[in-house]
This record gives sequence, structure tokens and C-alpha cells, in this order.
Amino acid sequence: MKTIVLNGNPDASNTIFEDYLNKLSSTLAAANHMVTLFNLRDMGIRYCTGCLGCFVKTPGECIVKDASADMRRKYINSDFALLASPVIMGFTSALLKTAQDRLTPLLLPYFELSADGVRHVGRYAKFPSIGLLLEKSPHTAGDTIRIIHDIYKRYATNIKSSLLFVKLTDSPVEAVVNEINHL
Amino acid sequence: MRLTIFNGSPRGEDSNTRVLLEHFINGFTATSGNTYELAYLIKKDNGNSVRLFQEAEHVLLAFPLYYDAMPGHVKTFIESLEPFCGRRNDLEIAFIVQSGYPEAVHSASLKPYLEGLVKQLGCKYTGTVALGGVEVIRATPALSNKRLFESFRKLGEVFGKTGALDRQVVAKLAKPEKYSEFQVKFLNLAANILCWHPLLKKNHAYERRFAKPDTAGLESV
Repeated sequence: MKTIVLNGNPDASNTIFEDYLNKLSSTLAAANHMVTLFNLRDMGIRYCTGCLGCFVKTPGECIVKDASADMRRKYINSDFALLASPVIMGFTSALLKTAQDRLTPLLLPYFELSADGVRHVGRYAKFPSIGLLLEKSPHTAGDTIRIIHDIYKRYATNIKSSLLFVKLTDSPVEAVVNEINHL
Repeated sequence: MRLTIFNGSPRGEDSNTRVLLEHFINGFTATSGNTYELAYLIKKDNGNSVRLFQEAEHVLLAFPLYYDAMPGHVKTFIESLEPFCGRRNDLEIAFIVQSGYPEAVHSASLKPYLEGLVKQLGCKYTGTVALGGVEVIRATPALSNKRLFESFRKLGEVFGKTGALDRQVVAKLAKPEKYSEFQVKFLNLAANILCWHPLLKKNHAYERRFAKPDTAGLESV
């Protein structure tokens, strides 16, 4: 299975998170997954400008040329996408959210009705299913994970996918690998 | 009252968010003595927005919904506020969240996050105005958006007097909550005629509108 991992950790000195993700990637690779890991903090992905160019100027392509093009191509050709981020100010990192925003070329301008409201139609027939990996901080409030879970459940419908799980880095790597192996 | 407004649209001065804020500000400044500062978060400002936040009395953060949450650069701004957690207990924060998708339910789903964020900052939560269908402002004449603009003027006016969001207006803006299949058909028809297809044709891209560049040249498509 082709798996893309988007590492949204902005802080390279957070070695606990980095080690966890590296161990996860290598365990997945050992279980015959084709894993591509993107360290978003090294990629300089710029913010979406909301220009709608990917709908009406260069359909399916972003006018802002940067490493997001490579990420997007890998993403749409994967079976599974693991979005990974420490919880910062109650949400996933700006790095991860910025990368998500830049996936818009994968959608068409047209609308359809989904279970949770009007959404854009997918440009491609198949989208990877999504898992979310979070690292809590000492400041993470009790209901934060549930709130993030709810938002990413909606996000998954938006990007023509479904959210298969939300896992925390305090669960063993094997538990996350098992979830992915069961897909 | 002194209000510090952050426009979190990636489109900056050319945004629907700016149009909504203009009407809000018109209402807000109707009370004499009310003043405001306005910052565009998309602009590089060398920490000016953070300074404005630090010195603010009332904050209004307005942004379009991107993928069911704040756009990436708004999250960057929120992360830059981390040092203020617990230091601005008197500060009151309100939000406007608007989506291009026509239903308010999209923006409303972010409310618990915003309330939690204000709690983490240790500030006071004024409330959130959540609405959908705002992308239509760009495609239609001002006259057809009169009621929407009046609502924002009223919001600003009441806020300027009381520091609170008018519940009736907030409730009115929260409709429609969900679209029916029939409404989506109509939406597609209108959007195609008024927006997508003329733009695609103007850009000589109509024939390529279903292009799939990211799977081109791959065996497993």
C-alpha cells in the first residue's frame, strides 16, 4: 500500500515526535508499505492565496510554484495519508494546515451534496483515506482532541476521503501500524 | 471603545471578508468615540499584528473558512500569540467565520475550537458570527447583498454600543444551515453560468476544466 506521511512538526528539536514518526515510517516500510515522508518544515510551502486559479486558469495545477506540487502528486497517488502534528494552540500546526490548503487543485469547482453539506466535486476518481496522528502538549485541554477530531472528520469529507482514525503519540507505534495494516 | 480588527483572508484587501468588515465598521463607528485599527494578517508585518494584539482592548478576528478551519496563515498568527497565554485576562475576543460553501454549518463547526482558543489564551470569549455563502459577494451586484450588508452594519452598531454580538442577527446569519439536493442543483447552475464557465472560457481553460495533471503519465491511474 502506498502511504504518504505529512510531518507537520515545526520544531526539529522535538525529537520525541521525530523519533516516533521515523520509527512509524520504518515499521510501515518493513510491513511492505511504500512510505513517502514529507517533512513540511523543510519544504517552504507557501500559503494558499485563494486565487481559484486551480479551478479556472490552470485546472488541476497551482499557480504558486513550490514544493507543494510534488507533495500533491504523491498525495493523490497514495492509498493512505497520515497527517501528523503536535497540538499547538489547540489545533494541528500551521505547517500542516498550510499543506492541506494547497491540496485544492485536487478538487473541481463544481458542487455536490455530502453528508455534512455542500462540497466541491473531486477532480480525481480516488483519494487516499486519512489518519491523524497528534502529540499532546502539557497545555492541551481535555476536549481538544475531540474538537480536532470533529474538524478533521469534516475535512476528510471535504477532500473526498474519510478519517479512519485519530491516534496520539502516547500510544505505541505498533498500535498505529496495526490500524494502517487493517485498511 | 477601541477595537482591533484582524482580517485573516488570504486575499487581503481584495477579500469578501473586507467587504463584510467594512459594513461592520460602519455600524461600529456610528457610536461617537469608537475607534478601530485594522491589520491584514496575510501582509508581512514584522510582528505588527502581534503588537496590536498585545495592546488591544477588544479583538475581532475575521477569516474565511479553508478546509473546515482557519487558513494556514491565520494559524501561524494564532501560534504567535502563545506567549500571551494567561497574560491578557481582560481582553475580549470575537470572531467572524465565513465560508464560500453556502451553508453556515461549515463555519459553525469551528466554534468550539475558537471558544477553547480564547480559554487557552486566558481571554474573554465574546462569541462567533458564523455564516456561509459569502463567495457570492464577488459574483453578484451589491444591491443583491443588501440584507447581508445591513446585518453586518447592525452587528457592528450593537457591538459598538454593548461590546456584544447581537443574538438575533447572529441567528439570522446562521441560516440556511443545510442545503437540499434541489438547492445544490440550482447552485451549480448559477455558479456555472455566472462564475466558473465564463472565467474558464476567458482563460482559455474551459476544455481543460476536468484535467488530471497529477495522475498523468502514471500507470496506476
